Amino acid sequence: MDVSREEAAAALAAIQRANHAARSAFRAHRGHYHLWLWGVVWIAMALLAQTRGEAGVRLFPWVSVAGLVASTVIGFLQSRQVRAPVDARFFGALAVLIGFAVLLPLVFRPRDLSPEIAFAYTGLVVAQAYVLSGVWFDTYMVWFGLVLAGLILLGLLVFTSYFWIWIAVCTGGAFLLTGFYVRYYWR
Amino acid sequence: MTRHAVPELDPLIHQPVRLQIMAALCHLAASEQVDFSFLKAKLDLSDGNLGAHLLTLEQAGHIEIEKTFVARRPKTFVSATPSGRKAFAAHVQALQAILRSQ
Repeated sequence: MDVSREEAAAALAAIQRANHAARSAFRAHRGHYHLWLWGVVWIAMALLAQTRGEAGVRLFPWVSVAGLVASTVIGFLQSRQVRAPVDARFFGALAVLIGFAVLLPLVFRPRDLSPEIAFAYTGLVVAQAYVLSGVWFDTYMVWFGLVLAGLILLGLLVFTSYFWIWIAVCTGGAFLLTGFYVRYYWR
Repeated sequence: MTRHAVPELDPLIHQPVRLQIMAALCHLAASEQVDFSFLKAKLDLSDGNLGAHLLTLEQAGHIEIEKTFVARRPKTFVSATPSGRKAFAAHVQALQAILRSQ
């Protein structure tokens, strides 16, 4: 097959255009919608705890369920355009991780479990799930999970007196910023 | 205009529309599939045009087409095969080699 340099350059430019179009179309199917959603959920939970105290903390399960429903809807809509087969081993590993994370408090039986500690513990389980997802799929999630875990521990151990504000601004912010990074710069 | 004989170039992939299709499909992760209508809209092609080129690429083993039902509606999902990805990568390398050559 004979191709001139001009034709080769034109073909490579066409590939670059198609890549660019594909990148902007397909990256809408990466994790950023979920990251933005959960950023808002975490900020909402932290602000509820900060402003309404115990009454706000009791709303956490409902806020989480709303987040899970919204995440499921987003996942369903995305899978109608770009889909990947369900990875049974990944979901199996995730179930094991969460199952044992639920069992651990039964072993330690914490009597004076404050909302801050309970939230930090749940947050660390979530961060662990992100790291696991990153090992399995996209490496950015490894880094995100590690940063999230670090921020949660900093809030719990160092910035104790304004824990909820820390969670809202830093970890909620980490979700939102990572969402922007994934949307505009990843791959 | 100097012309170069490059055996690695794949004439089937080199066709402009198919080049676009392969570039888009190879951008997806190996396990991902894209919906026919979504791909058609993103590449700005007609049903017939995209369908014909997909068939050619499928016959060459470069892509896989899966017809299924989602919410009781027929859906067609398309993905690049491992050999298609290799062929596309080799084609791009060949084009780059032409550019580098004197």
